[in-house]
Amino acid sequence: MLLIILSALPFPKLPYYQAMDTPPLPPTNDAPRGSLACVGMGMTLGSHLTPLARSQIEQADVVFAALSDNIVELWLQRMHPDVRSLQPYYAEGKSRMKTYRQWVELMMTEVRAGKNVCGVFYGHPGIFAWSPHKAIEVARAEGFKAHMEPGISAEDCLYADLGIDPGRFGCQHFEASQLLFYERRIDPTGYLVLWQVGLVGDLSLKRFSTGAAYRQVLVDVLSEDYPLDHEVIVYRGATLPIQKPRVRRMALRDLPGAELTAEETVVLPPSAPLKQNLAVRERLAALDKEASIA
Amino acid sequence: MSDTIELLEAIGQNATLRHASADQLASILEQANASAALRSAVAAGDSSLLSAEFGHKPNKAPQITNVPGHEEDESDDDGDDKPHHPSEPGHSQPHKHTPHKQ
Repeated sequence: MLLIILSALPFPKLPYYQAMDTPPLPPTNDAPRGSLACVGMGMTLGSHLTPLARSQIEQADVVFAALSDNIVELWLQRMHPDVRSLQPYYAEGKSRMKTYRQWVELMMTEVRAGKNVCGVFYGHPGIFAWSPHKAIEVARAEGFKAHMEPGISAEDCLYADLGIDPGRFGCQHFEASQLLFYERRIDPTGYLVLWQVGLVGDLSLKRFSTGAAYRQVLVDVLSEDYPLDHEVIVYRGATLPIQKPRVRRMALRDLPGAELTAEETVVLPPSAPLKQNLAVRERLAALDKEASIA
Repeated sequence: MSDTIELLEAIGQNATLRHASADQLASILEQANASAALRSAVAAGDSSLLSAEFGHKPNKAPQITNVPGHEEDESDDDGDDKPHHPSEPGHSQPHKHTPHKQ
């Protein structure tokens, strides 16, 4: 009975954050309609998978997996008989963008064939992950139902494990390379979180790590806003429940010589106190005064 | 011998086990007849020892994202080995790839 009621409910078409190039096609009645759900597996095996994400996996016709740990992938295989790993499409010397486009096409091929497809991504499927956003955009542009289910991300674990509240001083997040390729404004009165420092400065998109010389360029850029003896935190969350988070602290100047993997994240705590904006405060006080008179 | 994946899932879902000390967990795993690889990984605090059971197959971290601005300016040509210089964010080039329409 519950299923009958649920199947009769209308499914609202959700807006998507990116403008579509092509208007959605009207649904037809003579073909099986595929669908796409991109879900997050969370970070830690057994701990973070949401009931809704698990349900998406179990109810799918085909599951594609892009996970950080092969043991987590084995766990996923217990949930569905047809789990297809996306890992083999990575290769040294091959552009990651080509890999990510292949992932989108693999998922969309099954959606176009009328299958209910679930793409499972480690952490949150929409954070530092191009393919899920693109696949949803393409699926919707072609008239298919597509959506994303959030997962517990590396960022979520970072706040918990390091005891950081991003609301206290504010928090900027950048892919580390973006600080080198573009002119960005860093605010050293808040937290700065840098992702993928292990491959910072890779213009080729074909490497999975760069090296000390590239990290030295990053440190040189950061030294415009931070003293070289400023303490930075190198963090990696647990992917298996028998692991502890890995937390290392070091001076900014020592970052180039540190061993760093692509999964590790660098956090720079604030180096300067918040500065009061006196002009705006005066303006607000004047508004308060006007309000009290009125 | 107990199933290692099931044991890992049970540990991950249980607040006491997830935050147990290595000694406590090692004792529980021994009672649960866990594999030697899992027990040694817990005892040593080194999950890489699980590779004895599952093989050494390190995954690439899928969250390695594209370099900003690259996503719209690279062709699908496999043979293109030239470095790709980032474009201006938001100034995308037309796609060579056109999604199939159903």
